[in-house]
Formats: sequence, C-alpha cells, structure tokens
Amino acid sequence: MELGLFVLILALVAIAAGFVGSLTGLGGGVVMIPVLLIFFGVPFPIAVGTGSVTILATSATTGAAYVRDRLTDIRIGMFLEIATVPGALVGAGLTVFLTHSNLDQALLIALGLVLLSIVPGAIGRRHEELPAGVEPDRRSLALGFRGEYPDAALGRTVAYQAGDTDSALGVMFGAGIVSGMFGIGAGVFKVLALDRYLHLPMKVSTATSNFMIGVTAAAGAGVLLAAGYINPVIGAPVAVGTVVGAYIGSRILPGLHNRTVRWIFVPVIVALAVETILRGFGLP
Amino acid sequence: MTLVLRIGLLSALAILLSALAAYLVENPSGTSAGTISSNPITSYLTLAGLAHGLATGTPEAYLALGTFVLIATPLLRVATGIYYFGAHHERTLTAVTVTVLILLLLGILVIGPLIH
Repeated sequence: MELGLFVLILALVAIAAGFVGSLTGLGGGVVMIPVLLIFFGVPFPIAVGTGSVTILATSATTGAAYVRDRLTDIRIGMFLEIATVPGALVGAGLTVFLTHSNLDQALLIALGLVLLSIVPGAIGRRHEELPAGVEPDRRSLALGFRGEYPDAALGRTVAYQAGDTDSALGVMFGAGIVSGMFGIGAGVFKVLALDRYLHLPMKVSTATSNFMIGVTAAAGAGVLLAAGYINPVIGAPVAVGTVVGAYIGSRILPGLHNRTVRWIFVPVIVALAVETILRGFGLP
Repeated sequence: MTLVLRIGLLSALAILLSALAAYLVENPSGTSAGTISSNPITSYLTLAGLAHGLATGTPEAYLALGTFVLIATPLLRVATGIYYFGAHHERTLTAVTVTVLILLLLGILVIGPLIH
C-alpha cells in the first residue's frame, strides 16, 4: 500500500477510535491496536506502543473538555494514580519480557476473559441512573472525597460521596498493570473501580477515568518508548485522528443520559474481549 | 491544568502534522510495509541523536519530538497538580502527587533505558 493512503486510513480509523474512546472512558487503543495488528500486520509490541499514543491523545483532548464541564474529579483521580502508575511500570516491564518469551498469545486470551467477566456487572446495573446509599470509608471521609456536578441531561446539580477506597486502589493497581502490558488504557477497570467501588455517578466515573488514563498511559508509554516500541511514523496520523474523534465524543457526552453511556460501554467491551481471545488463539 | 493539557496537545499536534507532511514529501515512493518494518525511533532516543536529527531537519526526528511532547504533557499536568494541591494546603494529596511524578520520571529515565 502507498504510504500516503496508509497514513490517510490510519487517521480515519483513529477518528473512530478517539470517538469511541472518549464516549466510554476506554481510551482509543481498544480500536486502534486490533486494527494495527489485524489489518496492517504491525508487530504486537509496536502496536501496543503506538496504541498508547492514541490513549494519550484521547485523554488530553477529553480531559480538557470534561474539566471544563466539571465532570472530572481531579482529587480522586490523582489519589488513585498512586496505584495505577506503579502498576503501569510493572506492566510495561512485563510486556517487554513476555514478548521475548512468546507468551503474549496466552495473555491475550486471559485479557479477553477478564474483560468478558466485567460485562454481567455492567448490564446488571444498567438501569441505575445515579448511585444511592453509599457508605464512605474512613479515608474517603478524611480526604473529603465528595463533590457535585451539573448534569445537563437531568437538568440539575448532582452531589456524590466516594465509597470504598481500599478496593478501588486494588483494582486500580491491576488496571495499571493491564494498561502497561497491553496499551489499552484499561479504562474498563478504572471505570469499574470508580463506578462499582467508589460509587461515583457514571458520567463522573467516565470523565475521571479519561483523566487517569493519560497519566497511567504516560507511565507505560515512557517505558515502551525508551525500549523502542513506539513508531512515530505510525503514531503521528494516529494521534491527529484520535484528537478529532475524541473532541467530537467529548462534546456529545455531557448531553447524554448515564444509561446511554452504559449501553455504549457494554458492546465495546464485548467486541474488545472477543477480538483479543480470537487473536490469542491465532484466529482472524 | 486544562491550559497545560491544551498547550501540550496543540504543540504536539503541530509538530507531528508538519513533520508528517515533510516525511510524506521526502518519501514519495514509500510504502506501508516499509514504514511498519523500520522504526526510526531508536536513532532519536538519546539527546545527542535527537539534537542532531533536529539540527539537520530530519522529519523522523521531528516526529519523535512530537511524540515526546505528547508523552510529556500528562507529566506536566501532574506537576501543576503539585502546585494546585499545595496552594490549597492539601498535604496528603500534595505528597501523593509528588510521589506519582517521581514514579513517572523513574519509568522514563531509569526503567525504560534499562529495558532498552
């Protein structure tokens, strides 16, 4: 394929990736990495490293927009980075080690199964518009992890209080490892921790996840960059396209009902899980 | 913090877009296979290599620079977080943010080069 056409296709796919990534809090890597692997035959570690560029661009674009819309809880997000960043450093180191040990296919299958296990919980709570009856732990109370945001869809200001920080920290460490290893941003696990354990409203969870994804991805991307796993020629059109898609997605989100965001969230997880399992078994 | 994100992102995109255009002009007969099989990043991982590439106007060096700026933007955002939490006398969150920044720098400056 001619280089110009290749760059154009990458940019167009990245627009779609950025759009889905910003709407769901997953980051654009969930779309970009499979496309690089399946349609262009990019080697796995290079796809992961280049895909992390997508995550950085998505988070930077939507992060600014969400903060402006007062959806992101920066205090809670930054606190949880104390768990995700060490996880990402461990994960990035592991992926370099494991790709040299030919164990990446088994890891893909495991990742797909983990993602599928998240789906029942997401579907089970799909009718819950806002969390109720949250019991905060001592740390949540001591650090004042509470806030409010203007909900454009509900037409009122919504107040919230964070719940179980211990469990959230544990899940976030795992999210960091997955982010560093697979370059997918691990927004799936971050939204899980923010939504299920801290009981934040879904829109706050999604926006805060987007903020966190950027910092976590920078930890993993820095390691992978230094190890030579980011190709800037592929990364450039990916970054530009992602920013365009992410900006469109972030403009749409504040007007959506939380249920709508969840319905978009679930099929994306299923598609990602099936894709990773198929690739793990060496199937197209 | 929003300003930091915006400046970092726009700077990275401006560098990447112009470098990509220059790269396409310099490689009119380039192919996707050739681009995928050769990763020029390793030539620009050192300050000397990057400086030489930038000074000689190599498009790949500017593509690498844009990528570095993109990765550095979240780090700058964390750095501004230290100032933000410090100004609001939030000791615990300031300490947490300082630790996060140290870990990020550790990954880029120590762990990455060690693996490479």
